[in-house]
Amino acid sequence: MASDSDSTTMTPPPTPAQAPDRAAQHDYDYSNFYYSSSDDLFAIFEPYDEWWYGSARTSGYYLFSQPMSARPGPHIDLEDQLTHEKRALLNLASYNYLGLSYHPEVIAAAKSALDHYGLGAAGSPILSGTMDLHLTLERELAAFKKKPAAMVFPTGYSTNVGLLSALLRAGDVAIMDQNVHASIVDGVIMSKATPRFFRHNRPDDLEKKLKGTTGKRLVILEGVYSMDGDTARLPELVAIAKAAGARVMIDEAHSTFVYGEHGRGVAESFDMEDQIDIHVGTFSKALGGQGGYVAGSQGLYNYLMGFARSRVFSCALAPAVTAGVLAALRVAAREPHLRTTLWNNVAHFRSLMSDAGVDVGESTSQIIPIMIRNDRKILGIAQKLQRAGLYLQPIIYPAVAKHRSRFRVSISASHTTDQLNQAAAILVDTLRAEGVL
Amino acid sequence: MKPGQVQYAYRHAIGGFFEFPTENARQLLPAHLHPVEPHYGQSVLSVMAFDFTSGSVDNIGPYGELVLSVHVAPRIEAGRPMARAAFYPFLVGTTTAESRAHAITRWHLPHFMHDIEMTFAVEEHDIRVAAAHGGAPILDLHITDYHWEPVEHFYQASMHDASGSYMATMALNAPFSENEEERGSVTLHEHPFTAGLVIDEVNTTPFRELWMRDGTQTFDPLETITPGTR
Repeated sequence: MASDSDSTTMTPPPTPAQAPDRAAQHDYDYSNFYYSSSDDLFAIFEPYDEWWYGSARTSGYYLFSQPMSARPGPHIDLEDQLTHEKRALLNLASYNYLGLSYHPEVIAAAKSALDHYGLGAAGSPILSGTMDLHLTLERELAAFKKKPAAMVFPTGYSTNVGLLSALLRAGDVAIMDQNVHASIVDGVIMSKATPRFFRHNRPDDLEKKLKGTTGKRLVILEGVYSMDGDTARLPELVAIAKAAGARVMIDEAHSTFVYGEHGRGVAESFDMEDQIDIHVGTFSKALGGQGGYVAGSQGLYNYLMGFARSRVFSCALAPAVTAGVLAALRVAAREPHLRTTLWNNVAHFRSLMSDAGVDVGESTSQIIPIMIRNDRKILGIAQKLQRAGLYLQPIIYPAVAKHRSRFRVSISASHTTDQLNQAAAILVDTLRAEGVL
Repeated sequence: MKPGQVQYAYRHAIGGFFEFPTENARQLLPAHLHPVEPHYGQSVLSVMAFDFTSGSVDNIGPYGELVLSVHVAPRIEAGRPMARAAFYPFLVGTTTAESRAHAITRWHLPHFMHDIEMTFAVEEHDIRVAAAHGGAPILDLHITDYHWEPVEHFYQASMHDASGSYMATMALNAPFSENEEERGSVTLHEHPFTAGLVIDEVNTTPFRELWMRDGTQTFDPLETITPGTR
């Protein structure tokens, strides 16, 4: 019961020697280290390292950023960062949804461009960095997306940051799904516009957050949400945005070349492409390359040319990558059977998970979360999966909320049925052994 | 118990974390504290309710306590234990004058200066707390359980008044349940107690629910915080 052995209410802080043993540091995460209490910028390093080396790394954080020494195909070689063992693993972690990263035409185009153009673009796109390859890619991409213009950016991150900081100004309002990618949030922050978030995929909350807003407003959605694998409720959300007079942007990073009859994305699948003002996507997912794009009006293109600072002040996309992406775009547009194979694989893996009773959340796409919902347990399970021969990345806070930890399965057209069966067997056996199933 | 520590015992300590606008959070915080933002522009309102069973150092007897806090960045210093989370309580209500006087004097906690009424309705897997003042409702909090396990969690509370800035480090020991299943809720009523909040902008569903049963809360001695530091 209550006791008090000291009537003084103010004392100096306890010294390290007096500090109680508070070893349950696996409860900590990056959020604990956002600020330090010192005026020295570097003072945070010591407690951070204490946490990192004392518990975080060995408890499973070492699983992040492990070096792969193979192309991102169904089989990879991975080096264990704790033991330095190299393991041959089945890979369900890479995007590369259509297997185009190493398609022969893609490799040949990249090699040829490397021979012809050299390694880098050696300049900003607005100065000396634009090559004929970049313009060809932009023209073919615009034609593919059925938009007047498309602009290429060096990365997906810089696409959203450049686009949003170029368009929005202080006093404007950006209303975003709460699960949008960090690049969108960062772009809005840079723009100094007022950010507002509506609850994930909730039209009623979008309506609530739009209510009372005036002036220039942009509603920002994603086609497929990267952590949950669910798709935007586009018809309802766009209708609400339009009724309020707001512009609409969709980021189809994970859905372009995957959704829609022609692969133009979720907007195509809902036949709503013309109702959306700005279309964003990346080349690093289904095309297996690097970079991003904005597709829309010629006016949008012209304005971004001058104001998208992440592009203006970056070196242009490397020519070899640009040529590889262009080749991948042509293959994706020409060979719809790749999407058919992908969706067959998705259906097959989903049925294996369903038969085993695995919780896959609300996913309807090629991104299939394996919900663990236990922040401590998931890191241990990830280690066991790797030892059993399966590569899956654990996704934990802050990428997802606490208690929403999951593995993110990325299905590819390049997976064979046997590989998916084998991966599912390892996964289900491990989850059963760990008491998740 | 170490010298200078103060311990309280409770039947139930429950809490819900609710997103609300950072703009509102900054109005409640002193300048030296920074809100934790799970999403940019959204901070965390913590609504906590305690059912203390028996007093503390000042013989304050059983009482209920309602605490509204903003979740802030914990103080991290080399060689010191790291808190699981940190809070800035911007308004506390208690059911007795003795407990109120105790918390104001000892911990510099800002209080609603009238006795409030609190009822705890406990079911097998959830608990509901209704708080009111003179019959006027303040709030209704509903928290659900998940997996229970015994824990010892460390938290920081920051206080700030005309006399200075303070920090209390506390340990909570109890069987503990935490979840993010979004099954709980809060209803905030228009009342002087909730006047600092833009009620329409507070999410009514908690993104995290916490529940401790039959445990203790042990405070380290209060520390003074140098102005200008976090």
